[in-house]
Amino acid sequence: MRIICCLFGDKFNQWHVDNLKHMIDTYSGIKYDSFEVITEDLYGNWYNKLQMFDKFRDGENLYFDLDIVITGKLPNLVRKEFTLLNDTWWREEAHTPLNSTIVSWTGDVSHIWDKFKADDIYYLEKYNKGSDEFYYREVEYQTYDPICPKFNMDRLDTDYNVCTLGQMHHVMEEGWTGWWSKYFL
Amino acid sequence: MLKICTVYFGDLYTPDYVGKLFNSIRRNTSIPFQSVCISDNPNVEADLVLPYNHFSDVKRHWHKLKFFSPNFADQHPGDDIIVMDIDQVITGNVDDLIGHAVHDNELITYGVWWNSSLDTNGGFYKFKSGSLKYVWDDFIRNPEYWQLYYYKNGHVHFKYYGEQNYVNWKIQNREGEITKTPEEWISKYHTDFNENCALNTMYCDKFGVDYMMLDDVNENIKVVHFTGPGRTIHDYDTSWINEHWK
Repeated sequence: MRIICCLFGDKFNQWHVDNLKHMIDTYSGIKYDSFEVITEDLYGNWYNKLQMFDKFRDGENLYFDLDIVITGKLPNLVRKEFTLLNDTWWREEAHTPLNSTIVSWTGDVSHIWDKFKADDIYYLEKYNKGSDEFYYREVEYQTYDPICPKFNMDRLDTDYNVCTLGQMHHVMEEGWTGWWSKYFL
Repeated sequence: MLKICTVYFGDLYTPDYVGKLFNSIRRNTSIPFQSVCISDNPNVEADLVLPYNHFSDVKRHWHKLKFFSPNFADQHPGDDIIVMDIDQVITGNVDDLIGHAVHDNELITYGVWWNSSLDTNGGFYKFKSGSLKYVWDDFIRNPEYWQLYYYKNGHVHFKYYGEQNYVNWKIQNREGEITKTPEEWISKYHTDFNENCALNTMYCDKFGVDYMMLDDVNENIKVVHFTGPGRTIHDYDTSWINEHWK
């Protein structure tokens, strides 16, 4: 099984990659064979993530964004079909209900990359709020049951062992402390 | 504990502004405090220096709003937090200023005697740790929007200005209390000679004194704020700055 993450641009750095690996190794209970980091910055935005469907065409794959907090043992997140989060159990649908903070698939789903790459300029403009809308409108997908709520600064949500920071990723910077601090590197 | 917090970034000012501000406060108060600075230069002098992230969604002076969160800068319940701009010269005893009583959901800020459309002056905020956390929490939900809102709507004339406008609006919107310090405690200084003369006259008329600034600063004044875009302290060579800003 392969763990995948992406590192590009200025907002995240090697610490964030090391921190993700630390949380997976220390708290998640996930056993994996390789930890892969995609660093090629083709688009200057999160469409870079789609490269994973081209680079990894076999076996079990589990992708995580860098701005998450893992606080305990995670359920089995590996999926056969292309699967990502549906956030509408905790937020309004907006332009897409989907969230690719956690993604999994088994085998070859390179058709996602091929479709995007064949007309990338068009899709970048059409879905300029992010790649999650591309998945929503253009790709067949499955979604996880509720597993990953929004980060709550005031308290740890003990019903779930992973949460997404979203706009709150500043709490990963030096100077911020709270319930999440002990889980970080 | 009392924390006095600042932000230093870029190259308009020099790193010694931070140390000079904190040193001059310590010379002029009997109240113990911890000095804190968000800085992109590790050479600033403060008890706690936290990194200024140039790659953050948060821009320029808006980093000051981080101190409204009790989760930032090692705050503890009951702490008193002061946020100050670094372009200020302390010229008198500030016990009554930094020791000003404050309660939950209250902001203490400079009362100013010159024309101002706001009840809040960004040069000085004092509040109870965490009691105004909504200032940061509501801002960080959409920083891009707020950081340009006051510029786009013509309230300010420089991009990314408007942080004090936001603080003023947010606290009023949440029915917080804004308390101003006595107006005669604060002064401001201009590059323009005629403007300084006008300010002197205005101060004298309003407070019935003989002068605001001559070779020295009026004894009622505690702080001189070098307000305005691009205005610096180190460009001046006057006796009162040399005496107080060190």
